Amino acid sequence: MLALLFGPLFNGLFTAMVVFLFATGLTLVFGILRILNFAHGGFFMIGAYLAFSLVKTFASDTSLVAYLLISIAAGIVVGLCGLVVERLVFRPLQHVDEAYSLIATYALLLISEGAVKAIWGVSFHSVMTPTALGGAFMVDDLVMPLFAIFIIVLGVLCYGLLEWILQHTATGKLMKSVASDPWMAGMLGINVPRFYAWIVVIGFFLAGLAGGLLLPNQTLSPNLASVFVVQAFGVLIVGGMGNIRGTFLASILLCVIDSYGSVIFSQVPGIFFYVAMAVMLLVRPQGLIAGARL
Amino acid sequence: MTARPRGSDWRRDVAIGAIVLVVLASLPFVTNKGIVFVAGTLALHVVFGLSWNLMFGQTGLVSFGHASFFAIGGYAFAWTAKVAPGIHPLLLFAAVGAFGAFVAFLVGIIALRRSVGVYFAILTLALSQIVYLLLSYIPALGREDGFTGIRRPRLSLGFTTIDLASGENYYHFMLVMCALLVAGLWWVMHSRMGRVFKSLQQDAERAAFLGINVGAYRLSSFAIASGTTAIAGALYAPWLQLLTPEIAHWTFSARPILYTLLGGVQSFWGPAVGALIFAVLEYGTRTLHGLSEIVIGSILLLVVLAFPGGLLGGLSRLRKRMSRKPALVARPEIVR
Repeated sequence: MLALLFGPLFNGLFTAMVVFLFATGLTLVFGILRILNFAHGGFFMIGAYLAFSLVKTFASDTSLVAYLLISIAAGIVVGLCGLVVERLVFRPLQHVDEAYSLIATYALLLISEGAVKAIWGVSFHSVMTPTALGGAFMVDDLVMPLFAIFIIVLGVLCYGLLEWILQHTATGKLMKSVASDPWMAGMLGINVPRFYAWIVVIGFFLAGLAGGLLLPNQTLSPNLASVFVVQAFGVLIVGGMGNIRGTFLASILLCVIDSYGSVIFSQVPGIFFYVAMAVMLLVRPQGLIAGARL
Repeated sequence: MTARPRGSDWRRDVAIGAIVLVVLASLPFVTNKGIVFVAGTLALHVVFGLSWNLMFGQTGLVSFGHASFFAIGGYAFAWTAKVAPGIHPLLLFAAVGAFGAFVAFLVGIIALRRSVGVYFAILTLALSQIVYLLLSYIPALGREDGFTGIRRPRLSLGFTTIDLASGENYYHFMLVMCALLVAGLWWVMHSRMGRVFKSLQQDAERAAFLGINVGAYRLSSFAIASGTTAIAGALYAPWLQLLTPEIAHWTFSARPILYTLLGGVQSFWGPAVGALIFAVLEYGTRTLHGLSEIVIGSILLLVVLAFPGGLLGGLSRLRKRMSRKPALVARPEIVR
């Protein structure tokens, strides 16, 4: 009985946090630089593949600490890629229409897909869940895998941390001011270009980190890049054009609706995410959290 | 602004179109089947890109779901031809076009009322995902395995009957159809309606103030572009004789956007140039497994970095710089 009622809720929350973890970096980059980064999926995938290689080389026992360290390492490497991308691609295109940075990020997506194919091949890979996260909780007939609980907690923590940084620290205030008016921020003595570089690095770091953290949940293949991008764009826009709180709420809303929808209409799983997204955009085109930047 | 009104260049546009058509039509006599296949697909992609630019460059609408209409056209044609083989192919192509336009009309009534700009883009993206998923779930359409065994029809023209399945007949038929579609798009863009579209792209608010029904014209632009693409999709079905849901995927919707922005938004043939570049790149790198994405991606990136504004835009700016005139290039806004 419990499984019937709350099973979809649990699964929905789990996918919501997967999408949210994927979308954080995207939201940050879009919120501040106004670049809709198609390549985010590509670098997420590179992070996942890097973590995969690191697991294969160093951590045969798949302990929790190794898993976390490897994810962070993948995040750092991808973050460094972000530094290169910012310098070579985003910065030169800053004063051109946003449409052109869109092609540039699509080109980067293609390049990262190609790189993954060239380095790791096209065959499917997967890794084991860390032993500490292997089990499952049972409440009545509701089975909750420990890994899913871990991801949900991680998603909420990640949201809490970002929200705290944005609302209660000097850095956060700086980010909001640059997001709302970069020209004025520059006039007030903030080094906006360097700030942008940092944001891109952090955004890419988050992509790589998410790649590593979500690795046990994914089957690695070069298609991984385009799997989450559309969903992430959806929560980004439904949330309200790049603010973290909106993205968080939108991921939960859309994924839980989708989860229940997929149970009720089992012939067409996965469709309700987009139906809910379209309805939300029509009912509330300004987004869940309107007006707020970040 | 030194840009001339679009109507004045019709001789050049027609001349380019005619030359390209003659070159494409003579290909089967001089090259192998592989290149003919690429050229035929290119012709369809040209229609795909040009029709997208009717919405973007002309009307200022950004659709991220253009591929879904290509797919709707293809699947509608394939399914109807299978269950009702008696229908005259030309009638069927026209009906599929009308169907595509009708679907766009229904979508547009709701979607365009509330949203333009990035919202419309993301909304069409969501709708295209729904189409993609539905195509991969519906058993009658072959699910993820695709719709197989689509036959090239026999075309009876009253005085004679052409078997499109034999030789390169279908290729030439497709070229004629694509030429007609491109001519239709050209005509729409340069008609009175096209000029109204242009005014919406430049300043919708001012257009509304002048008494133009903004919603109705946006809807027409969306429906015309989608109907045209549906016919291109319908032509694609017997060309490949196989349809997979991949043609509704968002990565395929990205194609016309890339063609347009690569080639240039402002010139009529811009998207066609972009499609040509892509076709050449894909054909040139087809044997380089994995590396092909890297090569295509890198070249795209280089073009964008070197010519932000598209290749044709870049060339025309270069020409202007040579003749020492101040160059002003207007670009439509995509996200605001």
